[in-house]
This record gives sequence, C-alpha cells and structure tokens, in this order.
Amino acid sequence: MTNRLQTLGTRGALAVVLVVLALVPVVCTTFFTSQVGLTSLWLGIVAVSLTFLSGYGGMVSLAQTALFGVAGLVTARLSVESGWDPWAAALVGILAATAVGLLFGAVASGSQGIYFLIITLAFAQVAYFYFAAVPTFGAHEGINGVRPPAVLGDPVQDPARMYWFLLAVSVLVFLGLRHVSRTAFGLALQGVRDDPVRMAALGYNVRLHRILGFTLAAPVAGAAGVLSAWSNTRMSAGSISLAIAILVLTAAVIGGLNRLEGAWVGALLYTLCDTYLRGWTDRFTTWLGVVFLVIVLVSPGGVVGLVSSAATWLRRRLPGGSAPPAVPSAPAPPVPVSSGGAR
Amino acid sequence: MTDPVLRVRGLTRRFGGVVAVGDVDLDIAPGERRAVLGPNGAGKSTLFNLIAGADTPTSGSIELFGADVTSSGARQRTRQGLSRTFQTSRLLTGLTVEDNLYLAAIGVDGGRFRLVRTGRDRAARERARRTAASVGMADRLKTLAGDLSHGEQRQLEIGLALVAEPRMLLLDEPAAGLSRAERQLLTALLLSLDRDVTLLLIEHDMDVALTVAERVTMMHDGVVIVEGTPAEIRADQRVHDLYLGKAHV
Repeated sequence: MTNRLQTLGTRGALAVVLVVLALVPVVCTTFFTSQVGLTSLWLGIVAVSLTFLSGYGGMVSLAQTALFGVAGLVTARLSVESGWDPWAAALVGILAATAVGLLFGAVASGSQGIYFLIITLAFAQVAYFYFAAVPTFGAHEGINGVRPPAVLGDPVQDPARMYWFLLAVSVLVFLGLRHVSRTAFGLALQGVRDDPVRMAALGYNVRLHRILGFTLAAPVAGAAGVLSAWSNTRMSAGSISLAIAILVLTAAVIGGLNRLEGAWVGALLYTLCDTYLRGWTDRFTTWLGVVFLVIVLVSPGGVVGLVSSAATWLRRRLPGGSAPPAVPSAPAPPVPVSSGGAR
Repeated sequence: MTDPVLRVRGLTRRFGGVVAVGDVDLDIAPGERRAVLGPNGAGKSTLFNLIAGADTPTSGSIELFGADVTSSGARQRTRQGLSRTFQTSRLLTGLTVEDNLYLAAIGVDGGRFRLVRTGRDRAARERARRTAASVGMADRLKTLAGDLSHGEQRQLEIGLALVAEPRMLLLDEPAAGLSRAERQLLTALLLSLDRDVTLLLIEHDMDVALTVAERVTMMHDGVVIVEGTPAEIRADQRVHDLYLGKAHV
C-alpha cells in the first residue's frame, strides 16, 4: 500500500514538474525560453545518452558529442546546401550518427574503464578535427542558416513551439531509455556492467551486448545534435570541441549518473550558471568550477541524489512520517542461515 | 556403462614450465555425483576452468554430451547445458535477486536482446522465482544481490547455475567461507538436486564432498592419483598422507 502511495506520489510530482516545464514559454521571457530552455533541453538529451551508457552499461563515453556532431552537421549540410526537407535531413543525420555509433562501439567495446574513456576521447577528437577541416561541412566556419521545420516556428523570435517540441522529445527519450533499462536487453546490459565474466558464463555475448548498448545511445545523442542545430540555426566543429565533450560529462555527473533525469537537471544547472553567472562576475569559470566541485563532494549521486536524500530526511522528520527510506534497507535474513562465516 | 556426459582424455595445461594439469583422463556418467579433491595447487581449479571453457588446454580433448568441445568457448558450453558456479561469488550486485535469476534463465533460453516484454519473459520470471524458492531465497527476491550476506550470496551463486536447468553442473568450492550450519544446508540442497543433473564439484571440505559424491577423484600436483568411492577414499593411505602432511611421497 505504501508502495502504491509512493508510486502515486512520484507520478504526481513528475506531472507537476512537467506542467511547470510546459508553462515556461507562457510565463517566462522569450530570452529565457530560448537561451535557458532550449539549451538545457538539447544539452540534457545528449547528456542522458551518456548517463544511460555510464549508469546502465558502465561505459563512460566522451564520444557522445562526436555522434551529436555527426547528426547535427549532416542534417545542417543536407538542409542548407542540398535543400532537403528538414525532417528528412534530420532522419538521415540520426541514421548516420547511429551507424557511426555502431562503428565506435565495435572498436571501443573491447576496452573497459579508463581505456574505454581514452578511446572515446580519441573518437571525439577525430570527429572534431574531421569536421574542422572538411569544407563539405563548412570547415571551421560551420554551417549557418539551418532552418528547422516550419511547424516549429522561429527558434529565436518565437521559441515556444520549438521548446515544446524539445520537451516532448526529452520526455520520449526519458521514457524510452527507462523502458529499455527494464527489458531483457537493458537488464543484461546492467549485468554486463556488474560482472562480465559471470554474464559470459551465463551464456551472454558480452562484447555484442556492449556494442548494441553503445549503438542504442547513438541516436539519442544524434537527436540532440539535430535539435541543437535547429535551436541555434547553426552548427560548427566548435559545437563538438573537447570543451563541449567535457561539458556534457560535467552536466551528467552533477545531475547524477544513477538516474536518467539527472542529465536534464545537470544541463539546466549548467545553463543557468552559464547564462546568469557571467553577468555577475568576471570570474565566471572559477565560480562554475566551485559550484560543481561542491555538488560532487557533497553528493556522489549528483543533484538528483541530493534531492532524494533530502526528501528521505524530511519524511523522517515530519510528524508521523516513518516512511520507508528511498532504498529499502535489507531486513535481517529470515532464512535459517547465519550470515557469519565469511573469511 | 552408458555414454559419459563428460569425457576428458589426456588433458594437459602448462603455464610456462609448470604443469598445472598433466594428462588427466576423466569419465563422468549421466546423473553421477563426482567430487574432485586435492590439496591447494593440485590443479583442481585449472581442470575446472578447462572443463567450463574459461581456459584452453595445451593438449588433450574434452567431450561434452558426446560432442567435442575442446575448442569452443564458455558461452557455447553453457548453451549446451553446462552450468558453473564460481569459487568467489560472481553476482550481478546492482540487480535484485530475481533479476539475477531471470538473466540466468534467459541466458540459455534466448531472448537476450529483447526490447519488449513477452509471455516468454513471464515464464522466465516464473522459473526465476521457483529457483529462488528451491535455494531458500523466496523472501529475498527484491533485495539487491550486493546487499546479501555471504551465505546468501553462495546460495544465489548456486541458484544462478540451476535456473537454466543444466544437464551438468560444475560447482567450484560451493562451501567456501560458509559456517557449519550453512554447510549443512548446502549439503542438503545438493542432495536434493534432480538425478537428471550430473554433478561435478571441487571441494576442500571433506564432509560436504564425501557426503554428496558417489565417486571421488583425488588430484595431486596436476595428476589424478586415485579414484574411488568415498569409502575407498577415506581408507586410502595416499589420501591420508596428502591431507595429514606426508605430501610428496
């Protein structure tokens, strides 16, 4: 019963958050909607592709911006230079990112931990230097004047519809990834994260599972690339520099790598700091660094982890509130087996 | 005698100059309970890894269920009906007991890449819960494997090997680190296993091994020195020498 109440409570809270988020273009200024809203949404989507890989697959990838760039720049190239319909261009861009993701995954999946990180860092750099050099993709200039589909309106003058579209895509991505994490494939991915040797002994092809997990996250990063190109009406190699790759990692970490929603929270926090801290201080990056350092030190689970431990603490303090803790702690083993004997 | 489920011939594994397993022959009949005993460094674990497919032999051959598997990997052998446990528990610590068993069930069944839930998933979940009950973990289904006590982790370790309904079960020191009460529980569990399952266990603990096994293979310095019934093994002078300190006769 408490469980059902809790589920209802969580769903209710989520619904409230969604309504508040949907009201942003109505209540807030155009500047806020476009500068903070759009940016945190597409940044959140590329960050969640990393949160998924890291949290469920144990793969900390720096290559997500590379896939983001492939999709964004292919879409921009096709719609600006070749005059394609924006939707068709976006589809091809995301497919291209998925194909590149499959390739990256096939190469990187043999490595783990720090080696995986370094290989994906190399991918990020290769993509950056490739796009910075190749004239087809505008080289350093990038591609300007990307037109989003007409139905989404002008992202600068009237960002409301674009904002709602990005919000809808974010919700779909969140629900989709959460669904995947509960399927056979997603659970097995978590099994591979926990113990690849055991998974191989259970009959799993560990490497193939890693490759497919990586490939599955690629269209998510790709979609973010397309949405970024549409929101900013441009994209260039600078949009996928090493600094951006690290920014995506930072957003995911400060939001909380254990929870998918952390990606958007981290992205929002970064965007808010980036937008407003600059106006208050010359030492913007120092303060940003301090904020992030404090979050990581105080809460390894990021902001989302911080919020859920605060909620648990509050529930315990409230009168009559002996609600169960967020993570159900194990009761004493009811089996007639003593827990001793461990060497 | 019926065809053996496991036939090992001239199996040898060298690590540099060290012969970990030297020219071992082994035949295990369907439904047999066999224990491999021996002091530390006797080559038990190496032999076990070779049979499970986690290691490749330097020479010799392994036949499993009548087919040569010498060159096939652990994954293929698992799908043919061979299950193993690990000496130190290897559990999926971030997942619940039920999800651990569920993944073990579909690892052999298929559907490992499914992105939707189907009726087969329900069947696999049902088997996971049945197995949990049979290893005494019915009330721990929703507990994370990482939060279990050592004894419970050993129980789940065996559950993971059982849920796939293997034809042959390899148990690597299942009693390692268990208390006396837990060892008795384990012995009872092993004795209650279906006779269709062939059992091969490595054990340090003579009580567990000699109670469960019908035949015992004694290894020392990588070679088999004696094979017989538990009674014969108990009476064997060489076994006494090995375990009571007169090693290297």
